[in-house]
Amino acid sequence: MSRRIQEAYIVAASRTPVGKAPRGMFRNTRPDDLLAHVLKQVMGQCPSLDPAAVGDVIAGCAMPEAEQGMNVARIALLLAGLPDTVPGMTVNRFCSSGLQAVAIAADRIRLGEADVMIASGTESMSKVPMTGNKIAFNPEIFARDENIAIAYGMGLTAEKVAERWQISREVQDTFACESHRRALVALANGEFMEEIAPYSVENREPDLITRKTEVRARMAMQDEGPRADTSMEALARLKAVFARNGTVTAGNSSQMSDGAGAVLLASETALKRYNLTPLGKFLGYAVAGVPPEIMGIGPKEAIPRALRQAGLQLEDIGWIELNEAFAAQTLAVMQELDMNPARVNPLGGAIALGHPLGATGAIRTATLLHGMRRHKKKFGMVTMCIGTGMGAAGIFEAC
Amino acid sequence: MSKNFMIRKVAVLGAGVMGARIAAHMVNASVETLLFDLPDGEGDPNGKVVRALEGLKKAEPGPLSSPGRLGSIQPANYGQHLERLRECDLVIEAIAERMDWKTDLYRTVIPWLGEECIFASNTSGLSINGLAQTFPENLRQRFCGIHFFNPPRYMHLVELIPCTETLPERMDHLEEFLVSTLGKGVVRARDTPGFIANRIGMFSLLSTLHHAQRMALDFDTVDALTGSDLGRPKSATFRTLDVVGLDVFASVADTMRMHLPDDPWHSCFDVPDWLGRLVKEGALGQKTGRGVYQKLGNQIHVFDPGLQNYRLSEGKVDAALKETLRQRDWAKKMEALRSDQGTQAQFLWAVFRDLFHYCAVHMEEIADSARDLDFAMRWGFGWSHGPLEIWQAAGWQKIAGWLNEDISAGKTLSPAPLPGWVTDPARRGVHEVQGSYSAGSNRYQPRSTLSVYRRQLFPDRLLGEAEEYGETIFDTSAARMWHNGQDIAVLSFKTKMHTISSELLDDMLRALDEAEENWRALIIWQADRPFSAGADLLQLMQGVQTAGDQPAEGFAGRFKGALQRVKYTVAGGGGLGEIVNAAVGNVLRVEDVIARFQQVSQRLKYAQIPTVAAIDGLVLGGGCELSIHCTRIVATMESYIGLVETGVGLLPSGGGCKEMAQRAAAEARGGDIFPHLRRYFQNIAMGEVSRSAELAREMGYLRASDRIVMNRFELLHVAIQEAMALAATAYRPPLVPRQIPVAGRGGIASLKAAMVNMLQGGFISEHDYAVGCRVAEVMCGGDVDTGSQVDEQWLLDLERRNFLDLLAMSKTQERIEYMLRNSKPLRN
Repeated sequence: MSRRIQEAYIVAASRTPVGKAPRGMFRNTRPDDLLAHVLKQVMGQCPSLDPAAVGDVIAGCAMPEAEQGMNVARIALLLAGLPDTVPGMTVNRFCSSGLQAVAIAADRIRLGEADVMIASGTESMSKVPMTGNKIAFNPEIFARDENIAIAYGMGLTAEKVAERWQISREVQDTFACESHRRALVALANGEFMEEIAPYSVENREPDLITRKTEVRARMAMQDEGPRADTSMEALARLKAVFARNGTVTAGNSSQMSDGAGAVLLASETALKRYNLTPLGKFLGYAVAGVPPEIMGIGPKEAIPRALRQAGLQLEDIGWIELNEAFAAQTLAVMQELDMNPARVNPLGGAIALGHPLGATGAIRTATLLHGMRRHKKKFGMVTMCIGTGMGAAGIFEAC
Repeated sequence: MSKNFMIRKVAVLGAGVMGARIAAHMVNASVETLLFDLPDGEGDPNGKVVRALEGLKKAEPGPLSSPGRLGSIQPANYGQHLERLRECDLVIEAIAERMDWKTDLYRTVIPWLGEECIFASNTSGLSINGLAQTFPENLRQRFCGIHFFNPPRYMHLVELIPCTETLPERMDHLEEFLVSTLGKGVVRARDTPGFIANRIGMFSLLSTLHHAQRMALDFDTVDALTGSDLGRPKSATFRTLDVVGLDVFASVADTMRMHLPDDPWHSCFDVPDWLGRLVKEGALGQKTGRGVYQKLGNQIHVFDPGLQNYRLSEGKVDAALKETLRQRDWAKKMEALRSDQGTQAQFLWAVFRDLFHYCAVHMEEIADSARDLDFAMRWGFGWSHGPLEIWQAAGWQKIAGWLNEDISAGKTLSPAPLPGWVTDPARRGVHEVQGSYSAGSNRYQPRSTLSVYRRQLFPDRLLGEAEEYGETIFDTSAARMWHNGQDIAVLSFKTKMHTISSELLDDMLRALDEAEENWRALIIWQADRPFSAGADLLQLMQGVQTAGDQPAEGFAGRFKGALQRVKYTVAGGGGLGEIVNAAVGNVLRVEDVIARFQQVSQRLKYAQIPTVAAIDGLVLGGGCELSIHCTRIVATMESYIGLVETGVGLLPSGGGCKEMAQRAAAEARGGDIFPHLRRYFQNIAMGEVSRSAELAREMGYLRASDRIVMNRFELLHVAIQEAMALAATAYRPPLVPRQIPVAGRGGIASLKAAMVNMLQGGFISEHDYAVGCRVAEVMCGGDVDTGSQVDEQWLLDLERRNFLDLLAMSKTQERIEYMLRNSKPLRN
């Protein structure tokens, strides 16, 4: 077990609904605005907290450039109206950026150097595409064969995992179908109500008939991803996109998405000083590297390390948010660690709910903490694979 | 009426297949178009039209020159938008062939037509004069038939049919619009059932069906006999029915039978029983997936009326007949067909004989001249030659004699006697120097003198018409340089498929010297398609002399081994044939040919006089490279342009890679080159070919300054006008760029990253990857820092070096060899 001088508690967790990219409800919404919105939201959930007490705002972002560049954390916190004495930094570990932000924030507290921290994540895949706006690979990647997988697209690595762990197309599609089914049930049961901060989208479109600018505002209330019309037949019709005779399709991969999430962390001292009620406690975090060509298997290495830090066994974890980058890698990780499928993504995963890269860690932390409380689970985990071959896992305990 | 006649906007009534496709072709020609149909009861009132426009996206071959044009067709419906008809100078009705529906619609729209508006019906079966009765007299003067052929973008023919009151100048204006703006071939037809093309074409199909049945020939065999060997489309007879739709075919035949009670071949318009049965079963052809043919898995099955079922299609031509079919001389071909007693030969003779017979008896009634009849069949049915020109080429008197023999013997489908003009002993044919024979006036009719045809310096030529193209400047085995009395010189290739040989490169250098010395501009123009079919290697096989006793060592020796097994070579684009030949000799010669090619490209670009490439049809490989180096390209819409060398494991080395890298750098305007370069790289690495000149513009092969013309017979006229305009405005060649920024090693890495994913995903082979890496290296300026500045020679040297490296690779040699042997690319 890791050592610390004090515990880090999560006292607020919120997220935007997740929109589809690049043509969804947030297609014209800036990621810094989304982030500012969730920052305001977590601050609003702790009215007794002095905003100036926030030690740092850490934001995860996987493609931190253009609309989400220029240290988006600092920009968003200022836009959110936090005092300019509050600093901010952006971190990037691709898909685990949001979770990494939580870990850094918790560690500052656990080290005793901060009492209140905000960890967050934001990503607009509508505005900044997967590989960024400028593709510029290092020529050295091609100088040696062992480095070439740095250039592999994520879908291709999923094909490699599917091949090596023999995850068939049908099993992947079945899993994808189940992800949508769970998400739809969760939506119907209002499972996401507590964590979601509805966002008012304002679009300004030229109306060529009236010759006026049409301002359309609508409230984004819930995730756009889950599809009621998904079926095995519909999924079977989709073509493999990353390999000629492959098994990975748009239907059994995570959706491209826009969204943001934030959690507010506090030390025990801060809980008392500001009269805050904890949702949960941060227990540990680990990352690990794997070969880039099978990046999807990353959680397999990270999860045991995180469990060791928390002094727990996998059986202790009642709720696992395992990011469904691809059905193939999710299934391979579950198979390797012998996970109980009922405990993995009980409300559906990224295949249905979407995966706004760097925001996902913060978003799913919010899902986990609210979910554990409602469903009375003691321990939970957020874990994901990471491009160029890594895995991350963070463990939480409900309060 | 104003002096200028303009069609600013067109309305097409009826968003069926023909209506939508006519509208598509209007916007291809940049003519604003409204597409009307009935209002939809629920939802979007334009729903019917919107759905038809969706259908245009999926149709093959594409009715639109570019998907982007779709948005220029404005959906409309009779419920809401009738007043918009007032904006239109031409309204084309293209609804179902029902007299009552059409007249109802006419009554609805008449009050909304503009005062100068021409109203035309695209009917193929109804009487134009009958339809005209709906209109008040003043409108009848502006009413006519305008019969497009499907698919209208690709079929050259439009039949124009006046009613008795149509004002002649309206018809002339419309003809000018159709010919120049839409690029169509117009034939004036009379108001007889089926007009010209369908009358003859339907008869020809039906008589073929009849003879096939009589002689118990299988349908697939008939198709093997009546396709490209007769100069007709590959779809031949039965496959054509499937494409047309068996129901459509049957209904057209019914209509014609109904309207032709006195035709001596009346009974021939009966549709065979088996066809009626297939229609009843819903087997309508291509549109239902089953017709005369049916695809089962990877196999094609054909309907066999004997079995009343489908069986595997084979379609075998008698070995003995193959020689006859290959015969290009019509006299010999007809002679052989008539004398051969084999069933297949007798069948073909009967098909031709009855076609000749039918044309002879009906020409006076349906066509103003033999030329109209022949062009109608060429342009409307895709025949390489019309029936009367074939007859003439085969020997008029001999065929007429045989016809009479067969009529007397009761072998013909009708006993109708040949008209007197046919059997006139002085007759040598119907197309003479002074014009084409008109049976009605018993005179030879010259070609139309309408001003629009002054733009056709060399209109479509009938069989036997002299090929005379201006005054020769020089003439070799590979090319001819000539002029037309103006001070513009034209170079036309003489090589097969206008491929680029070593001799042709020399001729081009000579032509450039000559043009700079004595002419104001140089145009490259071919009298026939294609402009240059570099990569169409399958059609380009030529016999080649074997290498003799060259020393078999090193690269040349390895390559010679491959060549000797092949026994053929190509005259491919980029002088591939020449290069292959040269490779047998020595590698230095290969390098010399490429260097000369690059020299030609650079001379075309930097000549002291403007150079204009007038392109049409295939413009591949080296043909594309030459074109993009010219001062100006004038392209027909049906230009299919691409740098396709990677298909045989090579890369463009006649300046193609250099030119596109340079364009990318220029477009970046000092910014990041890579996004611009990536598009051009993809075009070359994937060997993409544009499916229209418009798309070639989007791909970057045509610049904003390059011109697109709709009618290929106007190509040379426009090229000359362009050349004159360039020369008239104190032409100077571009300054030689000495600082071209390149994407460098960073660019190569990013292109490789994309290719690695395709390789690992199994979308491309190892050798595709290897070739792609070479293309990347050339287009990025080699292993230099990103943003380094190079000159053109730097890029040309990279092209040449990498080309030679690729040529030395066994996988590339296998590709070339395979292409030669099997006429298709090898994925190795």
